[in-house]
Amino acid sequence: MTVVAVHRPNVYASRLGRGALGFVVLLAAVVAGTCIGETPIPLTTVAQVLANKLLGAGYPLDPIDTGIIWNYRLPRAIVAACCGTGLAISGVVLQSLLRNALADPYLLGISAGASTGAVTVTIAGLGAGAVSMSLGAFIGALLAFLLVAGLAKAAGGGVSLQGTGQIVLAGIAGSQLFNALTSFIITKSANAEQARGIMFWLLGNLSGARWPDVWLAVPIALLGLLATIWYARALDAFAFGADQAAALGIPVRTTQVVLIGVTALVTAVMVSIVGSIGFVGLVIPHAARFLVGVRHGRLGPATAIIGAVFLIAADVLSRTIIPGQVLPIGVITALVGAPIFALILLRGRRTR
Amino acid sequence: MILRTKDLGWSVRGKAIVSGVDLAINEGETLGLIGPNGSGKSTLLKLLGGIRQPTRGAVSLQGRDIASMPRRKVAQIIAFLEQQAETTEAITVRDAVELGRTPWLGPLQPWSPEDDRIVADALRDTDMTGFEKRQWATLSGGERQRAHLARSLAQRPEILLLDEPTNHLDIQHQLSILQLVSSLPVTAVIALHDLNQALSCDRVGVMAGGRLVALGKPEDVLSVERVTAVFGVRASIITDPADGTRLFRFHSPS
Repeated sequence: MTVVAVHRPNVYASRLGRGALGFVVLLAAVVAGTCIGETPIPLTTVAQVLANKLLGAGYPLDPIDTGIIWNYRLPRAIVAACCGTGLAISGVVLQSLLRNALADPYLLGISAGASTGAVTVTIAGLGAGAVSMSLGAFIGALLAFLLVAGLAKAAGGGVSLQGTGQIVLAGIAGSQLFNALTSFIITKSANAEQARGIMFWLLGNLSGARWPDVWLAVPIALLGLLATIWYARALDAFAFGADQAAALGIPVRTTQVVLIGVTALVTAVMVSIVGSIGFVGLVIPHAARFLVGVRHGRLGPATAIIGAVFLIAADVLSRTIIPGQVLPIGVITALVGAPIFALILLRGRRTR
Repeated sequence: MILRTKDLGWSVRGKAIVSGVDLAINEGETLGLIGPNGSGKSTLLKLLGGIRQPTRGAVSLQGRDIASMPRRKVAQIIAFLEQQAETTEAITVRDAVELGRTPWLGPLQPWSPEDDRIVADALRDTDMTGFEKRQWATLSGGERQRAHLARSLAQRPEILLLDEPTNHLDIQHQLSILQLVSSLPVTAVIALHDLNQALSCDRVGVMAGGRLVALGKPEDVLSVERVTAVFGVRASIITDPADGTRLFRFHSPS
């Protein structure tokens, strides 16, 4: 008899090593996102600005450069990283919990619901200033998910393997409904100036990202990441369905409520900052599975890093691909995402 | 009494799937559950494992109400293997069997060499050694069934609840799996379709229309008259000249 005992001498050290590697990659991406732009800024200048601001180094620098780097590009890159992480992690969690390879906050209508919530608060003025845009987006996201999940369940789908089609169909219906509501509110209540701004924001736009957005996005992205790490084994246990997860000792209902709540919160906050960006939550988890496998202990962190790097890259592309013009970032992610989505569909057909 | 139910019932949309089941399972015994399709065997197993919450009565595990116990604690005692648990994830056999360690591992607790040993034992006991790296999607029905059983064994349970574990298995593996289950120092409740396999259990419970209509030693419970009444077929009992074992033979009713 051969015992397949893989020797794992120091698990904590290797975990720490992988974590550090991920952090370095992330840092490099943020710095690259800060350097690259319509006017490229040398790495040394970026480093000097960071040294001035963080350590008070006092390098003599052009105040315009400092302003561009510190007030625009750096917060923008950090917010992009957080949104990439948040949306990608939401995708991983939804795909596992719903046992559906096509689940993601955008397809399931959660992003659309968040948009409606955000627009209701900002344009229609619901809540009379007491409700923040993020809270409005959160309520919208949660309502949208409940509606979509309820519709899928009523259509006989739910989370069973046979019913995987229903939740996607319900998601499409939900997206359409909430997008229509958003358009309705904009048309009815917004003036022309507001309408143009909102439409641009809805397609995904990072140009408004400033430090206050960073202070909102970073903790929420971290919350999402920590939740996926904490629930990694529980998410693994859903591989054979909710009943088997329960049989493996997972408190199914609590886990679903907590994780879907976190997903809705993360999506809502990201949508309230940058608008609704599609395909990140769908495509990045599949890319990460391809690289590190299906176990969530690795998949969660890998998805987080890849999502962050992907969205920074997409943002850089959206700023530089047409000189003198900024594309909505959702256009870039969809241009990359749609073909990959098609690939997933084709692969899914073959394995069935 | 390791597992006991009192007036246990479960209904969905007003229709009783299981009702009035009083069952006391002794430590270490192998209890076979038989009954026609839709007689409530699978639901009873889910209730026994605490996967479903009863709409009437209660299940007590080692003297405690199972509904009040943390799921994780229950899963350290009971392994439940359902029919047709499938996945579309690209997991390997080893990934699937390692899931059996879930109830014993905290969220951040690392995998240990002891876990490796338990998984290797479970693979060996189910004759799945060498399949570790195989993708789930490439397995045959019987291999999946054995991998599921290996996962249940990796849970190191005191009680095994198995829903038709011999489905899809070839005759050699049917016999070796049942042999394995009865040789393990565990309490086992097994839903079975093959009445001849049920004959080798310590006790047999007969389900019909959601009720437990008979319970006792196989030779007392599995009479020709009862088989005819419950399954609607004619049966005769013959004796194997090789070892004197009783065997059922069935005829369609006419």
